[in-house]
Amino acid sequence: MRTGHLKTSPGQLVALSDSPAVWAWVGVLAVGLILLPYLVGNYMLTLVVSAMAAVIGAVALNMLTGQTGLISLGQSGFLAVGAYANAILLSDYGLPVWLTLPGAGLTATAISLIVGVPSLRLKGLYLAITTLAFSFIISHIILYSEELTHGPNGIFVKGARLFGYDVQRGWPLYYLALALTAGTILAALNLTRTRIGRAWIAIRDHDIAARAMGIDLVRYKLLAFAVSSFFVGIAGALLSLQLRFVNVDVFGLILSIEALAMIILGGMGSVAGAVLGAIFLSFLPEVLRIGFALVTDPNSTFYTNYVYEIRGIAYGLVIVVFLRFKPDGLVGMWRDARKYWSNWPLAY
Amino acid sequence: MKTIASAVLGMLVAGPALAADPGVTDTTIKIGDVNIMTGPAAFVGRGFSVGSKVAAEEVNAAGGINGRKIVVITEDDGYVPARSFQALTKLLEVDQIFALNGTSGTANVLAMMPLITEHKLPTVVSQAPAPVVYNPVRPTVFTFGATYENAFYAQLKYIHQKMAKPDAVYGLVRQDDDFGKDIEVGFDRAVKDFNLKAPVRIRFKKGTTNFSAEVAQMKQAGVTVLANGGIFAGAANILSEARKLDMPLIPAEVWSEGIPASAALLAPAGYDYLVGDYVSLSGPANEKFRELAKKYVSEDELKNISRYTYASYIGMKALIEAMRQCGKDLTRACTVEKLRTLKGLDTGGLSAPVDFTNEKQLSGTAVAVYQYDIKSATFKPLTGFEQY
Repeated sequence: MRTGHLKTSPGQLVALSDSPAVWAWVGVLAVGLILLPYLVGNYMLTLVVSAMAAVIGAVALNMLTGQTGLISLGQSGFLAVGAYANAILLSDYGLPVWLTLPGAGLTATAISLIVGVPSLRLKGLYLAITTLAFSFIISHIILYSEELTHGPNGIFVKGARLFGYDVQRGWPLYYLALALTAGTILAALNLTRTRIGRAWIAIRDHDIAARAMGIDLVRYKLLAFAVSSFFVGIAGALLSLQLRFVNVDVFGLILSIEALAMIILGGMGSVAGAVLGAIFLSFLPEVLRIGFALVTDPNSTFYTNYVYEIRGIAYGLVIVVFLRFKPDGLVGMWRDARKYWSNWPLAY
Repeated sequence: MKTIASAVLGMLVAGPALAADPGVTDTTIKIGDVNIMTGPAAFVGRGFSVGSKVAAEEVNAAGGINGRKIVVITEDDGYVPARSFQALTKLLEVDQIFALNGTSGTANVLAMMPLITEHKLPTVVSQAPAPVVYNPVRPTVFTFGATYENAFYAQLKYIHQKMAKPDAVYGLVRQDDDFGKDIEVGFDRAVKDFNLKAPVRIRFKKGTTNFSAEVAQMKQAGVTVLANGGIFAGAANILSEARKLDMPLIPAEVWSEGIPASAALLAPAGYDYLVGDYVSLSGPANEKFRELAKKYVSEDELKNISRYTYASYIGMKALIEAMRQCGKDLTRACTVEKLRTLKGLDTGGLSAPVDFTNEKQLSGTAVAVYQYDIKSATFKPLTGFEQY
């Protein structure tokens, strides 16, 4: 019976997984994801790319909120910074996408340090409001810096090519998104197992104790903001490549709320939870749409008048039910299921 | 082995192919609508979807277009641009629509524009006819509607010539986005053309709900004619604040205030406000349309009828006429070509006749000015449709 708790060497403690079965399943998943464009249509690919952008954003927020305990409502602002940086560098300056993507991440990182400094003295709701104010400031700056950002008219994103392929549509975009998502998840998983990750967790659990143990709070909090914002900037850039258009309306406050919902629903503090939460919330509207299409007559007036609202209520209801009855989130459910089968027939 | 390797390599470098001219069968034509069906602005999308439905059912009852019935497929975007993109992707890839009538808000249609262009999708934009939609001109996109600039210019011209005192003071309050900017252009043009006294222009952030400071500034400046760039609850809050301060105002409003739901919000402030619009808000044409709608939609849907219904009905009528002219060999290219040459399409008095034969592929630019009468809860026409 494998419990996953017994480790007999330091190597096993820092390994991503010491289970051949886990690696086998990861391999199957990787093959499935590589073959996906040949198994599904463009619409499903579009949804998957959107979900991948959400995964990157949620994993990044999890570093800041789930692991370091710094609540941020500024994700939509950082997404906008990344998306605009990518759009400006691509469309206005004609830089190649292999430069604009890291450029978007680095721009968001630079901006995050400005927000990060006040966060050094703030916690909880105070920090949340500060980061929220930041996203408002960002949208104001975008609107009023017309020479740089084209103001309220937005920017059409074009000219993103990688290895000769147009990475703004179809399977090239999908593979780019897949690479970025895999890179983000790996980076997050590895960071968690380093000194940095452990310092973040210590700060989250008890910052005074962490400081007593010699952890430099200023450095690690700023680092959390910088690293998280880098990946959110990448997510914004990916979003801009997919939409091929950016303006301030694309980056509403709802994105920040949804990002928080994703990591709470998935399981706060866990990379796997952030991934599961992002996938769950990204596909939930589509699952509900298909469900309603199966049980309602699209020609009925009921459908025309109420189905969209009911779908919206169902979306909210699913989240509330999950949070009420499964506070550990999706990853908690997964752990429970795994524990049950590991201990079977002695499970209770 | 080499053959298998080549086949795998071929699979890896080949992209999915697109079908030509989807959405048309021997018996049906699929038209897409991306509407705001949920959220605070849902009444806009619901009104819009009724217009598409009535136009489709009307032509279907008469035998369809060259024997083909129209099927309207509506997708909700909740007024979120990223969701508009996804909704249109679904309409194109899953539902295989032939053309697009509903296009949601300005940012939403811009988010959909790359897909519209890529698929050469015949599209009529009648809900958010902003200049950024037709500047630059996209070959397959046809815009029906006036600019906010002209709608406000028309109202201010009427107010200046027929209503306001010679010493009237004009003020503007508007959102800090492209929509607000367009209103300010119209305001500035009227100020310049009629030499108006306009000491105050105030911007506010989209989503603002408390306008006490802005209105206090207006009061301080002695404003008596207000170009109100707020929409829905925003517009109502501005007028409500003005009433609190007992300001003697003639308000000029955005055409979104020409729908029953908005009028109900604005009425408590007690101002008989003006609206400039490119569709008719009252009169025989509207009554005739309501009678037509009764044949095809439910009582619940009838309640959703608004100016957006007329706009979408006209947009769909334009698409229908262009498709009809193509005959049996219906293609997107032919539909676009026929839309490009569409001239003098009668809308039954719901607007000026549709005419896309100009380089911007823009019609419906003629504006009529209406005044809301609080007592009868109706809009009274002050002018006919005129070009400004």
